[in-house]
This record gives sequence, C-alpha cells and structure tokens, in this order.
Amino acid sequence: MKVKIALAQVNPILGDIFKNREKHLEFIERAIKEKAKVIVFPELSLTGYSLLDLSMEVALSPDDLFFKEFFELSKYVDIVFGFVEKGVDKIIYNSAMYLSQGAIKQIYRKIYLPTHGMFQELRFFGKGKNVFVFDTDFGRISMLICRDFFHPSLLFLSYAGGADFIFALSNMPLRGLSGDKPYIEETVEKAADTYANFLSMFIVFVNRVGFEDGLGFYGGSFVESPLLVRHGFAGILNEKLTFAEVETNDIYKKRQSFPLLREEDFSLIKQNLERILEGQK
Amino acid sequence: MINLSLNYKLAREFIKNFIREEILSNGFNRVVVGLSGGVDSSLVLYLAVDALGNKNVKAVMMPYKTSSPESLKDAMLVGDELKVSYEIVDISNIADAYFENIKDISNLRKGNFLARTRMAVLFDKALKFQSVVVGTSNKSELLLGYSTWYGDMAAGLYPIGDLYKTQVWGLAKEVGVPERIVKKKPSADLWPGQSDEKELGASYKELDEILSLYIDQRKGYDEIVSLGYKKSTINIVLQRIYKTQYKRTFPPVAKFSPRTVGIDFLYPHDFKR
Repeated sequence: MKVKIALAQVNPILGDIFKNREKHLEFIERAIKEKAKVIVFPELSLTGYSLLDLSMEVALSPDDLFFKEFFELSKYVDIVFGFVEKGVDKIIYNSAMYLSQGAIKQIYRKIYLPTHGMFQELRFFGKGKNVFVFDTDFGRISMLICRDFFHPSLLFLSYAGGADFIFALSNMPLRGLSGDKPYIEETVEKAADTYANFLSMFIVFVNRVGFEDGLGFYGGSFVESPLLVRHGFAGILNEKLTFAEVETNDIYKKRQSFPLLREEDFSLIKQNLERILEGQK
Repeated sequence: MINLSLNYKLAREFIKNFIREEILSNGFNRVVVGLSGGVDSSLVLYLAVDALGNKNVKAVMMPYKTSSPESLKDAMLVGDELKVSYEIVDISNIADAYFENIKDISNLRKGNFLARTRMAVLFDKALKFQSVVVGTSNKSELLLGYSTWYGDMAAGLYPIGDLYKTQVWGLAKEVGVPERIVKKKPSADLWPGQSDEKELGASYKELDEILSLYIDQRKGYDEIVSLGYKKSTINIVLQRIYKTQYKRTFPPVAKFSPRTVGIDFLYPHDFKR
C-alpha cells in the first residue's frame, strides 16, 4: 500500500498557541490538497519548546474546543501534533495527539524528559508511563517524543507491539558544527538507519526549526524506510512541508530477507529482563 | 594540537538565522553594532548585514584620542564595503571630562571607563535607530572574562558568543572580512600598544585549545597537562574562568518571596505577550 506522509517542519512562535494553530491549519489544508494520509508536526508544535513558567499557561485539555477545527480536518487527513496536555490527573505533560476521523485516536505522553545541561523538562512536566501501538488504515503506529527516540528500549517496545511506523516528534537543538552535517543530525540519522534496519519498520522523524533563547532547532525531518531509503528530507534550518511517499510492502520485503522478527522471542526477553532486574535488587 | 576549525559555511547560515529570528521575535528589525575595526565587530557587522540587509544595520565608531587611527580606517573600510550607514562619535571629550580631575588613573580603570562610555553612546544610538545593540563578544573573551562588565559586554544578543577567537578568524575569512583585519594582532585598543595575547599571557591558539578541552570536552587539569599543555597557561585559563564568573551570571537576589527574579521567575527571553 502506498502512503503519503506529510512532514510539517514548522517554526512555532514561543507561547502563542493561537498563531501556531493558524499555521497548523494552513499546513493541514496543504496536506489535504496533496492527498496525504497523515500529517506529522514536531514536539510541542502548538506551543514552542522553551516554555519554562509558560508551560502551565499554554496547557490544554485534549477535548478543549480550541481543537475544534483540528477534529474537523482530521476527517480528511490524520493529524499528529505536539502540545502541552492538561491531564485530568492535574499534571501537565509534554504530549503528542493523534487525530483521525474526527476523534482522538491516541495521546502519548513523553516518557524521558531530559533534565540536564540546556534541558529542564522534568522541572515542568509530568513523566509519561506508557508506550502505545495503535492501528490506522495504513498500518500500526507508535509515537515517541524527542529524547525517547534515543532510548532503543522504547523502540523495542513498539517493535514488540508490532508497529509498522514510529512517529518521532522532536525539538532537537543544533549542536556540533565541525563536520559536513551538524553532529546532532548525524546522530539522529545513524539511529534511524539502525532502527529501520534491525526493527524493520518505517521511522518518521519530524523536527522543528527556528530559534528560541539562543537554541537553534535544526529541522532535518525525513522518513526512513526499512529498505534504508530516505524519503521526504526537509533540509535543515528552514520551515518546510515535505511529502514522503512510501510503500508499506517494504516491511514484508525486509522481514522476508532479514527475518529478525520471526526469530524474535519476546517471552525470552521478558524472562531475562525480569531475572536480571531481580538479580540487581 | 586539537583542531577547532568548523564548517564555516554552515556556521554562517546558522548565525544568520539566529540574528534574524532573535531580532524579529523580539519585535525589532534593526540593529546597531559598535565597530572598532577589529575582527570581532567586523565579523558581526557582516553577519548582521547577511541577516537583516544593510539598510537595517547601523555601525557606530567611537574612537578615543589615543585609539589607533588604523582602527578607525579599518572600520570605515568595512562600513563602506558593506554599504552600511555609519556614524563616528569621538568620545575623547566625554571621557576626558571625567578623567580631568583624577590623578594617577590606571590603564584598567581608564579602559573600563572608555568601554562603558561607548556602551552609553551605543545604547543611545540604538534607541534613536529603534534597534537592538548586537554584542561582539566571542567565547574566548566571555570565558576568560576579558571584557568590561556592562561595557562591551552589554548587548541584546551575542551572535559570535559560542565561537572561540580562532574560530572567529575562520568565520571572518569565510564571510569575506578584509584580510588585513583578520590578520591584525588582536587588541582591545583601550591604550596604545595594548595586546590581548600579551595581557592574557598566551596565544589565542593555546588558550582556545585549553578552553575547549576544559569546557567542551570536560577534561580535567591533569588530563590537559598530559596532552602537553603548559601548566602555567592552564592555570591562567582556570583562574580567569572562575575569577570572572560573576560577569556571566545574573546578580544574586536576596530571595524571600514565592517567585524571585533571577531565581525562580522563569520566563523565556523570547516570549512576548
């Protein structure tokens, strides 16, 4: 099955959810025009990243009327975006919402919130606890947010759940300017290659661009296929909407020629993990 | 001994975007740069023109009577080259009015006063031009504290604040700063014959390598010694970093309320309501 994925490499305005909503709607309309199946925005696409004390002020319940047009447009294209979630548990989360057919399909709360160096996420957000997989009409999806993508353990859970696509919504600031590419871009691409190859699934990486308080988010969004072909690369540093047309049958092809999933023994992993963790007590 | 060179083409693009976005997101579209004729301010002027166009950039030269005439000539060369409108404000009278009645003023006091006088002029010009003062401090001088607090350090943003001096030279070449300016002996030109490297006690190459090893690569004193760097130079670097930390932080506030400026009143710089 051919699937067209829209990668919305946006530059959100820090703290301005209304202007950012306008931009989302504009990009979504364009994706609908191009007959994309799904449009993927980056982490915190609705709010910007360096929120600090603004985090609470921009938080929204997933059922807030603010999202009315998003729900409406999701009848024509699936929509994935990042926002600050006002949880019913009175905690706010760095979350991603997947909308389809006018309804919420899944909300994912970022699990690993970096809090070191330039990152301060745990000071403001609650920690997510669950990796989900869920079915759409083009395949099984698992969402992760930024730092989560650097934890192979989380991708392994998605793999165990039978995911065809990882949607990695990111806000990665540029670091390392000594090589041909920014060092962080190399790191992400190497990770995506490795995951796509050994987990034999599609990696959809969407990163924002723009500057906030000196941090420059580098963009560089792309889709990596299990056959290790890169689609829809959005380039770095500039706002862009690109489209990646992929063939989901590539997953079967890959798993036929490199049948890791068939060999995989998840119960063995579970037993060993329990034994190892037990032994560490 | 370590290679600090960068992908200067990419660095140029990155800093260009930085200047444009940081200026626009703070509600401005124009900047002023204090232009000395040295490599740092020349580079910043090139980058600012890259980012905002020459009509939105203004240069201000502020010589004192002992400043080297060559510096002013070089500054004008850069201003003309970039077709940037510039203004020359001779600060001799302003500063001398203060120096007049002071006996035995040290070079350091004098230099600091000149830097702060320039700051006052520059911020006034910025207001008149409805613009932001762009800083010209580089990473070497920020880390070594080799600059005047609330003087040349005073600025709305630091586009080259993460570039060591040796990287400033590399990027200056990339953007086309005239060679004579790139090759010039670094000097704050606060008094005749002043030299950065003489005052700091080592070459920028050595200082930058030690800074990069210590700061960016988190190497310890002994590790840096084992790489062949002189203990005396490492000591200069470390002492300067820790002695001047106050210049790089918000001043301590005596906290007693629920939310205190500088401690836990945490709004981002770039947020506008």
